[in-house]
Formats: sequence, C-alpha cells, structure tokens
Amino acid sequence: MDAFITAAGLVLHFDVLWVIVASAAFGMFVGAMPGLTATMATALLVPVTFFMDPVPALGAIVTATAMAIFAGDIPAALLRIPGTPASAAYADESYAMSKKGELDLNLGVNLVFSVFGGMVGVALLILCAPVLAEAAINFSSFEYFWLALLGLTCAIFMTTGDPLKGVTSLIFGLLINCVGIDPTAGFPRFTFGSVELLQGISFIPAMIGMFALSELLRGAVSVDERNVVLAQKIGNIFHGVWAVLKKYWFNFLRGSALGVFIGALPGAGADIAAWISFAISKRFSKTPEKFGTGHIEGIVDATSANNSALAAAWIPALVFGIPGDSITAIVIGVLYMKGMNPGPTVFLQNPQFIYAVFIIFVLANLLMFPLGWAAIKSAKQILRVPRNILLPIILLFCLVGSYAMTNSFYGVLIMLVLGIIGWLMEENGFPIAPAILGLVLGEMLEQNFMTSMIKADGNALMFFERPIAGVLGAVTVVIWGFMLWRGFMGRKATLAPTEPDPTGA
Amino acid sequence: MRANDAINGLVLILLAVAMIAITSSFPAFPGQPYGPSLFPRVLGTLLIICGALLIWRGMAARRAGAGWVEMAAWTRQPWRIVSFFLMLGSLLLYILVGDTIGFIPIAMVILLALFLWFGVRPLVAVITAVAATFVIHWFFATMLRVPLPRGLLDSIL
Repeated sequence: MDAFITAAGLVLHFDVLWVIVASAAFGMFVGAMPGLTATMATALLVPVTFFMDPVPALGAIVTATAMAIFAGDIPAALLRIPGTPASAAYADESYAMSKKGELDLNLGVNLVFSVFGGMVGVALLILCAPVLAEAAINFSSFEYFWLALLGLTCAIFMTTGDPLKGVTSLIFGLLINCVGIDPTAGFPRFTFGSVELLQGISFIPAMIGMFALSELLRGAVSVDERNVVLAQKIGNIFHGVWAVLKKYWFNFLRGSALGVFIGALPGAGADIAAWISFAISKRFSKTPEKFGTGHIEGIVDATSANNSALAAAWIPALVFGIPGDSITAIVIGVLYMKGMNPGPTVFLQNPQFIYAVFIIFVLANLLMFPLGWAAIKSAKQILRVPRNILLPIILLFCLVGSYAMTNSFYGVLIMLVLGIIGWLMEENGFPIAPAILGLVLGEMLEQNFMTSMIKADGNALMFFERPIAGVLGAVTVVIWGFMLWRGFMGRKATLAPTEPDPTGA
Repeated sequence: MRANDAINGLVLILLAVAMIAITSSFPAFPGQPYGPSLFPRVLGTLLIICGALLIWRGMAARRAGAGWVEMAAWTRQPWRIVSFFLMLGSLLLYILVGDTIGFIPIAMVILLALFLWFGVRPLVAVITAVAATFVIHWFFATMLRVPLPRGLLDSIL
C-alpha cells in the first residue's frame, strides 16, 4: 500500500500529468494519420523520453500508444485506410458502415469500446503481473533462456506473413546484436577496430531507422497521394452506443479477453489480436452474412481486443523482460537504459514504479474519452495536414532523435543504414518486428544461453531438468516442430504447378 | 525493389559465412569450451540454413517464371526515385558536413530542399523550414541539452 501511495505521488505531479496529456495529443495525431503507426509514435517519442525520469518517460509511451491504437480507427472509418495496422482488420467494415450513413455510431462504438477494452486489459495487467512475478522470482537461466526463445518463437509464429522470412529476420536481429562487447567474456566482436562499434549497434537509432525511416521512404515516393475524406458531417457520436453495448456485451467481453490473451503472449500484439477476434466474431456470429456490409458486431470485438492487447502486452514485458509486441520491445530497451532491468525483481525492489505504470494506464484510458472525442471532431482537419510538409519534418525529427542518443553522427549513421535495411526487408517480405525483438532480446538470450551451457557443461538434457524450464522447453520445441511441419506442407502447396507462389518472389 | 528469394538467400549466406570466418579469430579460454564465438556461430549456422531454404524456394519460383529482380511501379517515374534518394541524401549530407556547417543551416537547407521538391509553395516552404528548424533546435538543444553541432554559427551562438 505504501508503494501504491508513493506511486500515486510520482504520477500525480504537474510535470508528469503535463507530459501525459501532451503525449496523448501526440499519439492521437500520429495514430490518426494514415502511414504513421503506433510503433512509429513510440520510436519518435523515445529520444525525448530518454531525457526524462522513468515515470514520465513510461507515462509518455503508455499514453501515446493507447491513443494511437484508438485513433487508428478514425481514418479507417473516414478513408478506409487504417491509421495503424491494429485497425486494419476492420477498416473495410468501418468504411462500409460510414457509407451506409452510420459514421457517427461507428466512431462512437470505436471510442467507447476502445476505452472499455483498454480498461479490461489494465485490470488483468494489475491482477496478473504481481502474481506471475512471484512465481518468476525462482527462475534460473534455463527458464529465462526458454522464455526468451519462446517469446521469439511466438513473434515468428504469430506474424501473418511467411514464417521462414520471420525466422530469418529474427536471426538477423540477433546477429546485429552480436556486434560489440560480448556479454560473458567481454571480448569485442565484429568491431573492426572502431571505438564506436564497441558499444554495439545502439538500439534506439536502429529502431528509429527500421520503423520510422523506412516508413518515410515509402511515404516519400507516394507523397502526391491525396486523401479523399467522406463528405459526411460528424454528429453526436454517442447516440446509439448504449444499445450496441446492451446487444453485444458478450462480444465486448470475448474480444477483450481474447485481446488480453494474445497481448500477453510474448511476441504478439494489438494488430494480431484485432485480426483474430474479428475472425472469431464472424465465425460465431448469429448473422455472419451481415459481415462486410457495414455490421457493428465484429467491430465491437476487434476494437475492444486491440486496446486490451496493448495493456496486456506489458505483462510479459514487466514480469519477464520479454516483450509482448514491438511497442513493449521498445519499452524494454528504454527500461534497460534507465537502469531498471525489467523482471520479477523490479516488483520487489521498485514496486512503486510498477504501480505507477498501472496508474498511468488507467489515466490514459480515462483521458481517451475527452481526447478521443476531440480527435473525432477534428478528424477532417487532422487528415488535411499535407504530407509533403509532414514527411520532411519527421525526417528531421528522426535525424535529431538518433543524433541525441549517441551525441554523435554515429547514431545518425546507424539510423540511415538500418533504415535502408529495414526498407529492403519490407520490400522483400521480411517482417521487421522479429529483427527488433532479436536486437532487444539478443543480449538476454545469449547471456542465459551461455550461463546455462556453462552450468550444464554441454549436457542438453539439463535445459529440461527443472520442471518449469522443462515445460517451457517442451512448448517451444512443439511449436517449432509444428512450424516446420506446416512449413513443409506449405511449401508442397506452393510448389504445385497450378498455384502461383503467394510470396510473389 | 523486390529481389528473388534466391538472391536474398545468397546475400544472407555470404553474410553468415563472413561472420563465422571472423569468429575464428576470437580467443578461447583454457578449460572453458564456450567462448565469445559460440553464439555468433550458432546464429550463423541457422542463418545459412534459412538462406539455403530461401535459395531453394527462389529457384523454384524462378522455374515457375518469376524474374530475378522486380522493381516497384513507382521506380518507372524518375521524380519518385529522386524523392527517395533525396531523403537518404539529406541524412548523408548531415553526417558528412554536419560538424563543420552546423545543425541550424543544414536543417534549414534540408527542409527547404525537400519542401520545394515535394511541391510546397515557396513562401510556405521558407516559413515552415525556418520555423520547424528553430522549434526542433529549441526543443532538443535548449530543453533536452543535446549538443547539436554548432558549426558556422559557433561564434554567434
């Protein structure tokens, strides 16, 4: 309880609240702009939060991402372009509703159920995280090795794309992480005599490059595309939402629960939660034929799911230091830089900090009501911001942000190189998120792998001897077996002469 | 730019082989079989396997009629290619001459050039470039105390 009061004191501070409101507005804007994602909002925020105390820094990230995930629904309804990938699952459905003249109801439902879904996610985060932390305190290097590997496995397994390219991307991220001083013996690897490479590939410039610069490069070649906004007036968005809640309360609960579950899985986040819950909603609906014609039912499921997943992704991040999605991957990088290594010990040593995150999450979801309403009302103005002015300014921001991380041109160079690599990867169908997870988790994975190898003296069975490690190891092995099997079957299908290669390679 | 998976796989294999070759110069510690070279070697081996699978798949696609390299539609319009390299060039310019010229002049030049190229009206472009540069400079250099390079303006600031 003392820790809770300390935490409240840390959060309810003018400076912190100011940061939260400012980053909420920032998150709304970035989320509502098509082409700028919630992950990009985080990537752009991190250089700024680097200079803050831990609590406002986390406050900024939590609030901005929560807002961005909701705000992504707005252009989905108005333009049929999801503002963030998390809204992609129901962008068509939302747009169909708008065309039917139910734009107000759609936006109202998106706002209300985003807030409620977020609250469910936060509630479960508050309930589960401390309990799990208590169990995790007894974990040894074997458990952590398997957990890290399981997290990375989920990251590949849950991506919608090609698993082989996911694996490749992950290994590439882990290899980049090998540059610099190695964690067990302290030997400089792959530095080629450069002093700057000794510190390794700095995580934040790398992430700005891969998530923001690559996005800007894609934007630059299509800068003349105009957004055609529906010429509908936005009226009272809350009219009729109550009736939807009464009719579809079960969908809301199911969507939120599914969101929490998927979010809490290491490696899967809000966008996957939205896709799966939308599909489940359609599968179990009494009126599946209405899906695709502008039906609210699936939207209730999916919009609750993506917001609840966002909060739940913090469960593995805080308890094990294993990111639940690419946003929490960035958060974990930030925590390490702040000297607060995420993991069960944080719950014992700095419980006030954990409670502060909980309080910020609740505040962020409450703030979403007024700010979300304001964003919806000003949506047409936001969507009219010209991209040809926005892109160069964001480029400058990326440049300064990565410079600020190393206080040298080294940061900008990393951003430039990894930005080009990230762009090439996306062009060739390699997902970026696994590479970033590899970059974040690489050191932890290697450290626990090496410690375990030394302890086990090369005996692979030792990795399975402790009960929890055994279960985690078995689950990982089973998932890998399933993936290989599916990959094998899938390749047979793609090699069939009648079927064109879906990757288009 | 979309390359055939065989090319992607080949590049990855070359990268992995180079990395494994470098690890042979890493020191080993007496009585300790697991040194700094172990983890990169494991990863390198896995990357070679992935690369080989990609090559296999790429060759199959090639036999089915896919090209080696496919350029996206936008590359057929030269001004879009210029846009692409202008973004990268701005960053490179900053890295190369940022120290001597300084943040403020370079940022203004970069913004102005990009604005004008993207078709922003000249007056709007000049005003926005100056305003954005000063806001970002104020935010990072004054508020966050990032030592942005002063360059030419060193004597004035």
